[in-house]
Amino acid sequence: MAHTDKQTAFRLGVLIFVYLAILTALEFYVAVAVPSVVVLSLIALVKAGLVVYYYMHIYRLYQETETDPNSYEYKAGTLRLGLWLFLLSDAFAFGGLAVARFNLWGMTRPPLNQVLGLIITSVLLVSSFFMNRAETAMAHGERRNFVISLVITLLLGIGFLVGVIGIEWPSAIHEGITPSSNTLGAVFFMMTGMHGFHVLTGVIFLLIVLRNGLRGLYSAERHRAVEAAAVYWHFVDVVWIFFYPALYLIGTGV
Amino acid sequence: MKKILSLGLVRGLLWQIAGTAAGALLVTGIRALMGLNPWGSFLFTEPAWVVGALTGVIAFVWGVGALTDWFKWALGEETPEHREDPPGWEKYFGVSLDHKVIGIQYTVTAILLLLVGGLFALIFRLELAASGMQFISLQLYNTLMSLHGMVMIVGILLGVAGVMNYLVPMLIGAHDMAFPRLNAFSYWIAPPAAIVLLSSLALGGFDTGWTGYPPLSTRSPVGIQMFFVGVWVSGWSSILGGLNLIATVMRLSAKGMTAFRMPILAWASVATSLISLTATQLIGLSFQLVMFQRLLGMGFFDPAKGGNPILFQHLFWFYSHPVVYVFILPGLGVVSELLPVFVRKPLFGYRWVAMSSLGIALVGFLVWAHHMFTSGMNEYLRVPFMYSTLLVAVPTGVKFFSWVATLWKGKIETPTPMLFVLGAIVVFLMGGLSGPPNGVVTTDLHLHDTYFVVGHFHDTMFGGYIFPFFAAIYYWFPKATGRRMSEKLGKLHFWLLFPSFLVMTFLMMRVGLLGMRRRIADYDPALGLDFWHLLITISAFLIAASVLVFLYNFFRSIKHGEPAPGNIWRSRSPEWQVPSPMPVHNYEEAFEVVGEPYDYGLPGSTYIRFNGKSH
Repeated sequence: MAHTDKQTAFRLGVLIFVYLAILTALEFYVAVAVPSVVVLSLIALVKAGLVVYYYMHIYRLYQETETDPNSYEYKAGTLRLGLWLFLLSDAFAFGGLAVARFNLWGMTRPPLNQVLGLIITSVLLVSSFFMNRAETAMAHGERRNFVISLVITLLLGIGFLVGVIGIEWPSAIHEGITPSSNTLGAVFFMMTGMHGFHVLTGVIFLLIVLRNGLRGLYSAERHRAVEAAAVYWHFVDVVWIFFYPALYLIGTGV
Repeated sequence: MKKILSLGLVRGLLWQIAGTAAGALLVTGIRALMGLNPWGSFLFTEPAWVVGALTGVIAFVWGVGALTDWFKWALGEETPEHREDPPGWEKYFGVSLDHKVIGIQYTVTAILLLLVGGLFALIFRLELAASGMQFISLQLYNTLMSLHGMVMIVGILLGVAGVMNYLVPMLIGAHDMAFPRLNAFSYWIAPPAAIVLLSSLALGGFDTGWTGYPPLSTRSPVGIQMFFVGVWVSGWSSILGGLNLIATVMRLSAKGMTAFRMPILAWASVATSLISLTATQLIGLSFQLVMFQRLLGMGFFDPAKGGNPILFQHLFWFYSHPVVYVFILPGLGVVSELLPVFVRKPLFGYRWVAMSSLGIALVGFLVWAHHMFTSGMNEYLRVPFMYSTLLVAVPTGVKFFSWVATLWKGKIETPTPMLFVLGAIVVFLMGGLSGPPNGVVTTDLHLHDTYFVVGHFHDTMFGGYIFPFFAAIYYWFPKATGRRMSEKLGKLHFWLLFPSFLVMTFLMMRVGLLGMRRRIADYDPALGLDFWHLLITISAFLIAASVLVFLYNFFRSIKHGEPAPGNIWRSRSPEWQVPSPMPVHNYEEAFEVVGEPYDYGLPGSTYIRFNGKSH
């Protein structure tokens, strides 16, 4: 029974990733062929919904059965609620940035390299898949699988940072889009910078979890730090699911 | 000397100085290496001051020891969630995880900040007592006026946090907040934030008012950056405190405490926390964007670069309107909490009062643009925001009807806390009635930026926060100390404060209607307002005198107050069923909620029953 549970969980992770990949490709196609804000927003919402439900397991918030307030599980539930409240709060900051983008840019966008955008988006998406894999592995006590998946997640996360800061920013500056040139540059650097800062904190969180995981501090029953790191990591991905079309796809390049 | 250095606060302050210097010197060094001018008009350059302020705050929190547990956690070490605090006063100057200690830390810090903000007001009120410039410069006037606003706001936020921190876990039967370490952290980032905020005085001040609108704020001296950083950091205190409180109420309530058996104060605190949890991000973001505009030339609000100054106002007011409900909702909760105790009657319409707090909070998210009727925003936005603003009167009216109906035919006792509750109701009514003229577009176009708004605002703040805050202190003081404050001095405090405050705000509204603009340092003698301004200033000083009476009473009663170990108010609430001062872990045995919380005077009704089991 436990064996099939495990297989289902891993398979579900793969299936959701396939959906996300198809939707991302579709999104790119829509943006190039029929630039429709409605369709792009809908696709982003569906992607975010998939991640929030299947990777971040939002349903765990209301599926709790433990009632003893001194138990590990009850405390883990309280921490889970606290983290989700924090994410709600953080979402308002990102929402404010999105408001600034639509207020200042309207239906235009900076002339960024859309293929490069697709590549870094894919990197983050794949990292979310491996994060889910790492968490699922730990939930079933597969420590080796957990460490390997977590290391891949970390490498992809660092790869995302390098892609944005090391490749995307210089190429934007090369195009004349600098923080102080105009609002196109200001909003672009603010949005990617703020998101990049969250990726950086996520990387630090994952490094701590990796270190403590290697020292054997987590088990199938007690791994709330792993779960928290995963939820935070997926949240950063969800933010990018909205920022990617807002920066690269919606509107006409000027 | 060694004992002083062992206090967390002192260590934190030393660390903050060192951290600020380190951060500022780092930036200065980088600038020198890059060939930029390393020194500015206030020793360091603006970027150096901003980075220094931030590193200073981080250094303070580290130095005080609020991060130690998390650092250990990251290294894989377990630390206990409950530490034994040293007995005596030292525990209030270091990191404690006990919500009662943190609540008192918040409250005392809040009182200090409110005194500082009030002192600023007294200084510029003295300047305004007659037309013509008397004794301070225009720039100093602007700085004091602006800082009065923001220091008071931060003070009130900390005071609200103090009341909620101290009371809510007790009222719902929890032994502590859900996240004690986060609770300590939320408190300990507030003092360095307040220091950064006040340091703007030394760095040239700023002249924007507490709103910090660009483009003016992009041209102010370096002081405005300290204002932005200070507010940004104290915003985190507010966000994390709100998070903690919601989690506490949702997860740690006593057995049987369903939503509609929760104390009104818990409802109000949750509503308040929902606002501070979410909306605070937007003031942080708006200030952050101006900071970046000043530091890096990012043109968010600079029309020459395609930016939009109105965008700032939208982001800013999306927080700064709802935040007034953060200030008042716990206060109104205190009013509903205390009224039945002193009327000895059930609270009228308990369910509706409970939900009205949430109602105010939710509607409060939809009204922000009523501050912008004259800003040049899209005109079609005016009418919907006018209607949403007037809609706030509905849940607020629910509270008023409940209070009046509770008072109706009750056996009203009037000890000091009850006096302040009644004062709060009257003053808040004045604030409420002067609100719609500001919310209706037609009249607001005339009233915008006049002293009428100032009068209205101070009525809502005093009615919704200051009076209930005093009521709460007089009422729960015995719970914290085991002694009660002097009734005589308390009544003197009230009767000095209440009439002079009403005179002050009535006259503010009057001079506003007669053409007095707000925020200005001087006015034309031909307006004929000199006499009224003098009266306003005299009232302001009477209010200050009443606060001095309160302070004397407060500090004297800690040691010399009349002992009050038991349930002196004959309350049904659980915290009064155990001895005062409150035991360290609150309730030795857990209780179960078996009835309605406010059924005073109904024979045979019980609210809670101690069931003998410990936590």
